[in-house]
Amino acid sequence: MATKKKEEKESKKESKSKENLEYVNKQGKRLDGRTVDETRPIKIKVGVVPNADGSAYLEWGQNKVIAAVYGPRECLPKHTANPYKAMVRYTYRMATFSVPDRKNPRPGRRDVEISKVSSEAFERAIFTEKFPNTAIDIYVEVLDSNAGTRIAALTTAAVAVADAGIPMRDMIAGVAVGKAGGNIIVDLNKYEEDAPDAVDIPIAILPNSEEIVLLQMDGLLSKKEWVEARTKAFAAIKKVHELQKQALLEKYKNFESTPSNDGSDKQ
Amino acid sequence: MKKIVVPGEIVSIERKRTGEHVFLQNGRIYSDVLGIVDERPTEVAVVALEGFYIPKSEDVIVGVIASEKATGYMVELNSFTQSFISKKEVREQMKPGYIISARVIDVNELKEAELSQVRVFYGGEIISISPVKIPRVIGKNASMLEVLKRGTNSTILVGRNGWIWAKGGNLPLLIGSIKKIEVEAHLENLTVKLQDFISQSNKSVKFPSKPLAGEAAKPEEIKEVEKLDKEVFEELSNESDFNGN
Repeated sequence: MATKKKEEKESKKESKSKENLEYVNKQGKRLDGRTVDETRPIKIKVGVVPNADGSAYLEWGQNKVIAAVYGPRECLPKHTANPYKAMVRYTYRMATFSVPDRKNPRPGRRDVEISKVSSEAFERAIFTEKFPNTAIDIYVEVLDSNAGTRIAALTTAAVAVADAGIPMRDMIAGVAVGKAGGNIIVDLNKYEEDAPDAVDIPIAILPNSEEIVLLQMDGLLSKKEWVEARTKAFAAIKKVHELQKQALLEKYKNFESTPSNDGSDKQ
Repeated sequence: MKKIVVPGEIVSIERKRTGEHVFLQNGRIYSDVLGIVDERPTEVAVVALEGFYIPKSEDVIVGVIASEKATGYMVELNSFTQSFISKKEVREQMKPGYIISARVIDVNELKEAELSQVRVFYGGEIISISPVKIPRVIGKNASMLEVLKRGTNSTILVGRNGWIWAKGGNLPLLIGSIKKIEVEAHLENLTVKLQDFISQSNKSVKFPSKPLAGEAAKPEEIKEVEKLDKEVFEELSNESDFNGN
């Protein structure tokens, strides 16, 4: 009996310590030193899978994601094909070593759900009606994770689709926003996601039209908080989108500076 | 250097006719692929840097027989679907693996091509390149192709679908040259660069005149080729109806 009470006391103490955790300090800095509307450092590289039609690799903080795109190609099995548009088949997978405890490699409920919502986002972005009876396959593998992988995967896949030369309305970009310790913050990491009052909202949009193509929510927010979260998210997404653009242009930059015998421009 | 745009980037805010790979949204013209902007006074288009082959009417393609059916052959032509050729169209008996060239006469709403004017090729090799870079392999008035033919002494037939059939001559050099075109397709003065590249690796090749140092020292012919090449760059998507032989 006594031991139980002690345990309860301890667990209470622990939860209290979590509540007391200062998610945003007086200087406006978070646990890992970021400001409230700052994302983790993002690095994107294009054309990493030679056999794919388009591919990209991304590091978003500790997240590491690789995406490969094939198609448009023949849609097999044939009965899944749609004679009016291309099918977008998005496959989100986490590597077994991407989380602290080994993940079962069998696709679980979570993987299937993320694949579904992400493929719906891409169906909106890609001009699918131009390629009837075909399939566009997008494979995304998460190699390392620390919260916000579905958005990291979507961001990488958008770059890979652009690299494959598939016509799109816009390049999808996204970010996760949420709440930890009463503060609205952008791009939560694992610690912030585990806060007792945590809210996690992955948002992906088409940056030009600001059309939302993916929105999910964990937890509760007031309307005022939501408006603040959305504004912060859209501002952060613009920055992510800029990085995506740069990554694509980088592929063609390497040859611009090569010396060529074109004195024609100068004379 | 021309402007490179990514999908969803604004190409023009003026009212213009829309060419390939652009679309209108809220009165602005956006690009739908990664490509180079081709803006003209009345029309705006984007020339794709990455892409795949969609059959178009009047294209000359290089294909491979995939299988034989009772009444015809299925042809693989680097597109979403294989195409069918009736046995009435061809005089020769063919087997899977035969290389052919054909003209696309019609494309249906499922982007399936109808072929005719089939010619069979014996021997040789198929070199593949991204289909969007084929116009650069040909060049304006087939200037680039002329350089390749002279430099390598091969018989070449370029298919719009990104497959190039070649036989005889210096094939390794030809493959190297085509790789170079593929990597540097978005740059200017490619024909001159290719001439240099070929004459460096094969000293015996003589082009009409080698480009000398500086613009002034260049003979008229090279200047003309360069000028043409520039025009090609501007009209990368030229519809030049081309047959290599």
